[in-house]
Amino acid sequence: MRFFSPGDRKPRVGFFKFSCCTGCGFQLAYFQKSLEDTLKSFDFTFFRLASSSGTPEGPFDLALVEGAVTEPYQIIELKKIRANSAVLYAVGSCAITGGIPAIKAGVPEMEVQNKAYRTKLYGLTSLRPSVLGDYVEIDGSVRGCPPGERDLQEAMVSVLFHRKPEFAGYSVCVECKIKGNICVLVAEGLPCMGPVTNAGCGALCPSYHRACYSCFGLMGQANTAALKGKFRKLGLTEDEIERRFSLFDALETKK
Amino acid sequence: MTGENVFQKNYEVLICKELFAGWVEGLRDDFKLIGPVGDGVNAEFREIASLKEANLDYQSTMLPPGKAYLFKPLEEIVLFNAGPGGVAAEEPPIPVQKQVLIGVHACDTHAVFYLDKVFLGAFTDPFYKARRENTFIISLNCKTVTDLCFCHLIGTGPYLKAQSGYDMLLTDMGGEFLVELKSERSKNLFNVKGRPPEAGDWQKKDEMETRLLKSFKKDFKADGLRQVFLSRPGHPVLKETAEERCLSCANCVMVCPTCFCHDVYDETDLSLTRIKRMRRWDACQDYFFAQVHGGNFRSERQARLRQFVFHKLDYEGQFGLKGTVGCGRCIRWCPTGIDLTEIAEEMMK
Repeated sequence: MRFFSPGDRKPRVGFFKFSCCTGCGFQLAYFQKSLEDTLKSFDFTFFRLASSSGTPEGPFDLALVEGAVTEPYQIIELKKIRANSAVLYAVGSCAITGGIPAIKAGVPEMEVQNKAYRTKLYGLTSLRPSVLGDYVEIDGSVRGCPPGERDLQEAMVSVLFHRKPEFAGYSVCVECKIKGNICVLVAEGLPCMGPVTNAGCGALCPSYHRACYSCFGLMGQANTAALKGKFRKLGLTEDEIERRFSLFDALETKK
Repeated sequence: MTGENVFQKNYEVLICKELFAGWVEGLRDDFKLIGPVGDGVNAEFREIASLKEANLDYQSTMLPPGKAYLFKPLEEIVLFNAGPGGVAAEEPPIPVQKQVLIGVHACDTHAVFYLDKVFLGAFTDPFYKARRENTFIISLNCKTVTDLCFCHLIGTGPYLKAQSGYDMLLTDMGGEFLVELKSERSKNLFNVKGRPPEAGDWQKKDEMETRLLKSFKKDFKADGLRQVFLSRPGHPVLKETAEERCLSCANCVMVCPTCFCHDVYDETDLSLTRIKRMRRWDACQDYFFAQVHGGNFRSERQARLRQFVFHKLDYEGQFGLKGTVGCGRCIRWCPTGIDLTEIAEEMMK
């Protein structure tokens, strides 16, 4: 196993953002438990939220990219980042599933543009939202809205150790059971998205008796039809069901 | 000496519930008391200060007591310290906390016997072994059964027939508990004088059991499934259930008292000096469970569902026991109510 030893130069990290709330970048800048260690181990060559200096040109050992692609120039930038980076991770739901910016996926672009930019902000056009993986090859996904500290840390450590990061691929239900939360879907009849949602949050909402709203996005092979059937039995209308599924997974559900 | 003789003669006593509660409270100095809190099927085994907090009339819990308190959902098994001199491995201390599990139903007691086969069999797990030895199990015969219970078909309940492997058996006789001592240590620990049961008391116990047996709703042929499973592994009911209802959420496995699979992975902190090797409950329903180098041998949902159903109702060759104890948790906590016994019945047709 080869990894960056103390004598090596520090790995160069670039943090980039496209259409999003910058919450993932904030989460990284707000690395409470390990900020000092992070700065000791990594050279943040480009991280706009933390420093106005630095160059986006690379080369990078690790590029972390948040946000969905909703404007044409972003595609060109993304490809450039990819070309200059050894490892590129998509960070956060917007970059991985489309997240909140993708809610408009089911609406014609002209309609969105007229609604959102009716004050005629020049130069702003709307493009059907898409995810990073549509344009470039990504080496991993750090899920979440925003991702938890554990997963961001795992992503960074994996680069130091040159190994595949260990991210959860199972459902939120597994995390609930590990914590011992009484199931809010079965016992309380709340429309919880846990059974189809990728874990990683530590079952945050169900731990506070709230239904999961799938901010980490659908897990692989999620059986959405089966959960929709359950929601119908709970008495949710088709519109309510649609909203729950399209909040973070509109690109999947509004294909 | 006199006292010992008395107890050697009477390993079964009837004592009033208040006296029993008082004895349990006395254990608090040496043991952590863990008992069922809450009502019906949503009770939960938790640390309690006295039996007043517990509800021994509970019907079921989401997490099974044995698995939750003997085989931790998430635990650190090795700690690596990396420094200039190299990497040193350090084992976390073996758990020494003594605990009493109070009110463990017959099915859940049998599930502990199953876990024993896994963790104290061909390989001894030091953490499980230490917890098992430090755990005093007070089992409890059921007073009611739920719609989903089928222990009577598996031979694991509702009354506990096993004579060893646990410490004490309680039967609620109304105002009194019939206490049956099943381990040497219980004979040393239980020092409450009571009335020795008479023929009438045993008869009453039998009658209660017979009445309870009549109240079961579930009925299916639990034997002879092996042939069916082997001959029709691609039965349409598996495909239909998988496609229409199975969420692959793994709730069934997580709440199963005998499911023992776990994943081992490393957590490295950013100082790169401390690496924790963790063990976490894992589930065959998860897509990545069967992901190995070169592919995934259960990439289809129905293959994963089949794995669960067959492992619970068949696979006796593994440990000489059925994988199920008939507690019904996998059915109750499945968001879409998938019932393994219905699948088996359909396959028998």
